Amino acid sequence: MADTYSAREDRCVTGIEGLDNILNGGIPRGNTILVTGSCGTGKTTLSIEFLVHGALQGERSLYISVTEASDKLLKNMIPYEFFDPKLIEERKLIFIDLPVIYEKLGLQKLDFTLEEIQILVDQIVKVVVELNVKRLVIDSITSICYRLTTEEKIREFILRLGTELSDAGCTTLLVSELLPSAKGYSQYGVEEAIADGIIVLGNLERRGDLLRTLQVVKMRGTTHSRAKYVLDLTPIGVLLVPLLKGGSVEMR
Amino acid sequence: MTNIPLSIAAKMDEYPPGCSVSIELNMNTYFDVIRGLVDIFAKQKDAYVFYISATIPSNKVMDLLELFEVDISRIYFVDCIAHIMMGATRTTDRILYVESPTMLETIMLKVEFLTRKYRDKTPIVVLDSVNSLAIHNDLKILSEFLHIFVTSLRGKGAYMIILSLKDQSTPEMAAMLNLVSDEVITVE
Repeated sequence: MADTYSAREDRCVTGIEGLDNILNGGIPRGNTILVTGSCGTGKTTLSIEFLVHGALQGERSLYISVTEASDKLLKNMIPYEFFDPKLIEERKLIFIDLPVIYEKLGLQKLDFTLEEIQILVDQIVKVVVELNVKRLVIDSITSICYRLTTEEKIREFILRLGTELSDAGCTTLLVSELLPSAKGYSQYGVEEAIADGIIVLGNLERRGDLLRTLQVVKMRGTTHSRAKYVLDLTPIGVLLVPLLKGGSVEMR
Repeated sequence: MTNIPLSIAAKMDEYPPGCSVSIELNMNTYFDVIRGLVDIFAKQKDAYVFYISATIPSNKVMDLLELFEVDISRIYFVDCIAHIMMGATRTTDRILYVESPTMLETIMLKVEFLTRKYRDKTPIVVLDSVNSLAIHNDLKILSEFLHIFVTSLRGKGAYMIILSLKDQSTPEMAAMLNLVSDEVITVE
């Protein structure tokens, strides 16, 4: 099914068939998407699969890890049957740890100034442009926002980053961590307003069963389903089926 | 006396891939029908069998099939009963476990996984049985599940076979099976 969409240059085909169907062919190219949800809902797995498919299609893909060291992340990654280690050797798929960039830029303080935010954005965009990155994942944006301390700074950071990455033709997933009790779609409330799209991953408890769910609540530039789907993380990738309608109590 | 395994395989051979057939049976014909489907019919079609076990844990079905020298190399199980029975499970690629028969979406996901992973042959999906699923799910969600599941499998060109125990059926269940099946076969 994904091949049907591959000719559409305005779309970034995620390679996750169910998600591409939901999005009518993929993410509008250059969009900045918030992938949000509480722990264990599959945010990182989905994001990495998005990058692997991109790399397999010849698009250079970059994962910026903010909290977890990427070598540890790779060890714990689902052994995808479609994953080819050559993607990393040939630098089609690149992993960078953000703390290393912080160190290089001399950003050691816990609270960034507006100037430091600009330095950080410039550095990320520089890497994207120099390496001709077409798909980017920042995991997680919440951990970066933790150092921005005010809504104004968070807005400035995401807006600048989104605009400059879009200009570079890069489609970006910003992974956002949520508490199960959170009411909005992001930790600080700002991220969701600025992002071009929001993909919510959740846990749905129904009569003692815990299901992983996915819902696209917003996506600029395309019509899309807003229904909730149940997902499974498998060695052949993320699989999705419609959520059956029944009395349910949700917890994220 | 009719040879049930042979006759059920011959009957199934009349249908094209992508069809949905319900088979009403009783406990006396239960295992003969299963043999007819997973052994004779599957061999005839050189097909994979994705067997959803909701009545008897897949371990037991496998043991029984092996006892009757049925080639199980083409059979993969989606077992949604072993976990809730708290019994020992077998670790093998042939069995995918679903935690509970109430997790109908997960059953669909496991079959989706199998149909994608094993694409080289026609899939035959056997649901054993709708009555067992009805014990754990209300009829409304079960109807919704079957409608989506059957429609999706039709699109993949799979044979969908729904087993139903006649003694345990209700008029509502029969109406539901009529709705989602191209034909209902009764095996006496």
